[in-house]
Amino acid sequence: MSDAVAVRLAGVSKRYPMRPHRGRFHSLKGALLRGELWQREAAAEGFVALSDVDLEIRSGETFAVIGPNASGKSTLLKLVAGILHPTTGSVEVNGRVTALIELGAGFHPEISGRENVVINGMMHGLSRAEVMRRLPWIVDFAGVGAFIDQPVKTFSSGMYVRLGFAVAVAAEPDVLVVDEVLAVGDQAFAHKCLDRIAVLQRRGTAILLVSHDLGLVEQLAHRALYLREGRPVMCGSAAAVVSRYRSDVASEEAGQQAAVGGKRWGNNDVVLRSVELLDGLGRPAGSIRCGEAAALRLVYEVRKPQEDFVFGIAIHREDGTHVYGTNTDLDGYRPERLAEDGEVRIEFPSLELAPGRYLVDAAVHARGGLAYDYACEVCAFLVTAPVGWPGCYAPTHRWRFAGPVLQPPPEEA
Amino acid sequence: MPLPRLLVTLHRHRGLILVLVERELKARYRGTVLGYFWSLLNPLLLLAVYSVVFTFVIPARVPTHVPYPLFLFAGLLPWLFASGAMLDAAVVLLDNGPLLKKVMCPPEVFPAVTVVSHLVHHLLALPVLLAAMGVAAATGRMAFPVTALLAPLALLPWVLAVSGLVLLVAALAVHFRDLKDLLHNLLSLIFFLTPIIYTPELVPEGILRRLVLANPVTPMVVVYRDVLLLDRLPPLATWGWAYLVALGCWVAGAALFTRLRETLVETV
Repeated sequence: MSDAVAVRLAGVSKRYPMRPHRGRFHSLKGALLRGELWQREAAAEGFVALSDVDLEIRSGETFAVIGPNASGKSTLLKLVAGILHPTTGSVEVNGRVTALIELGAGFHPEISGRENVVINGMMHGLSRAEVMRRLPWIVDFAGVGAFIDQPVKTFSSGMYVRLGFAVAVAAEPDVLVVDEVLAVGDQAFAHKCLDRIAVLQRRGTAILLVSHDLGLVEQLAHRALYLREGRPVMCGSAAAVVSRYRSDVASEEAGQQAAVGGKRWGNNDVVLRSVELLDGLGRPAGSIRCGEAAALRLVYEVRKPQEDFVFGIAIHREDGTHVYGTNTDLDGYRPERLAEDGEVRIEFPSLELAPGRYLVDAAVHARGGLAYDYACEVCAFLVTAPVGWPGCYAPTHRWRFAGPVLQPPPEEA
Repeated sequence: MPLPRLLVTLHRHRGLILVLVERELKARYRGTVLGYFWSLLNPLLLLAVYSVVFTFVIPARVPTHVPYPLFLFAGLLPWLFASGAMLDAAVVLLDNGPLLKKVMCPPEVFPAVTVVSHLVHHLLALPVLLAAMGVAAATGRMAFPVTALLAPLALLPWVLAVSGLVLLVAALAVHFRDLKDLLHNLLSLIFFLTPIIYTPELVPEGILRRLVLANPVTPMVVVYRDVLLLDRLPPLATWGWAYLVALGCWVAGAALFTRLRETLVETV
């Protein structure tokens, strides 16, 4: 992931005109004689699909947009793809964009697959020569074989979407915009799609994806934006945003009011009083040496006894990079009853984190995702080390050589 | 300035436009036995029918020094180019809605494809006219026009005007779906107001003659037919009018299209 900004949205809103019976202009006569054609529409009318979204996606980053239906996800995607223009605010995209919105949308049924690939590739911004160079790869990837020279109307629906996908990813875009079509076709092809996405990620392609498949979002995306009725609810690390969305859905299904707050939510049946880092001796600490024993302590208050509960933590870097996360359910602990206030600790005999600042999310929630209390970035700590290793993992290690090639370092005092 | 931006966009996507024109032509003749030959055959049949009807059934009284079927054909060719392109323009953006909405495709590409593919059809029909003129000249019915060398200059205002009108119709048709029907009627009205099947001199003096002469299409038809068929150099004023009309159409169409461009995709 580099620091280059691939997509930047600043204060973006999109309003669709609402006109069930008439067009934008009341009549041709009015449009021509009264000059309505040249005037901007009145600001008040219309349906606001997206309001006030700020967003920055870096090259190589994968960014997901999640939310219920009609929350403005696809509108956001189309704005980035340049298909729509924002009503207010600005959309800045650096580099070539490819949109995977409907696979094979531009295919003409009467002409051959090959000719359709050329046209589609050129619409994705390639030159004719570039498409021709990639054609063997596209045919191979889509697995359409000799059918490539047949009219597209003879294709099976699977061949159709596979070819559509192959053309779009063959363009090697700088920004890839994907609407729910990441894994198409049978199992084997779905894996191929995801492999190809991984290749693009490594190449530095910024990927903006909309999906209702939250598992896929957690798996692929670094960060995510949660939209509801066109408004951003939460933006942050994909894991936390997905948890928040799951919790909201679960609480809605339970008939409770959706949680509020950008970094903390839940129905407060159980409340996290404090979340702290403890050093090896069990004392609260703000910083810790790499490799030392440490623990995270969650102090909770029970307002309503629970029989379905999971305690969880997640550790991430300040830039949102997910470092580690686990919960009692994943580790196999079965909940019995939570009736009284208390505390839980997760102990690390040796916290092998690279030096730097870390943020902790902590949560207590039901197994179905309903959050009692979900607190993002509720605690921060510093890991120190004599050497500034990069990355986030710093395991104890030693070097061995078959011969006396290198002098070992002097023993530390 | 919006107009240069339109040209820049079209220039950037020239490869795509050509490929789409190819697709249009291919798709049109896919599955037919005669293929591209239809492009020649259509005007040929038209000419044959006119020749029979206006020579044997109702001998035309139009005073020309060339056979009347040729006179009619030469006037009809640019008209068919223009009216065909405009009628297509009325549906081109709606038909390509999926491409506009699901793939990022600049909307101006499609009107351009319409103009170019109709121009190709026009250029394929020209050899039929030239061959017929050759036959007529060889049999002593007319002299082969030297002025035909100026044909590109006579065609240019048509291309300009059609480009502008196609942009105009395409953009308006998205907002006014009934434009296509309106256009049909408007076009047949203008057709009879234009000296295509008659010469301006044939119209009785007075309001009707003035109407025909005031029709902006008239100078364009006159220039085209004079040069291509009648071996006449039209007066400079007629040239001037033809080019002025063409330029006006282009600027108006391009300006309106640019103005409505952003609303097109969401309305389609």
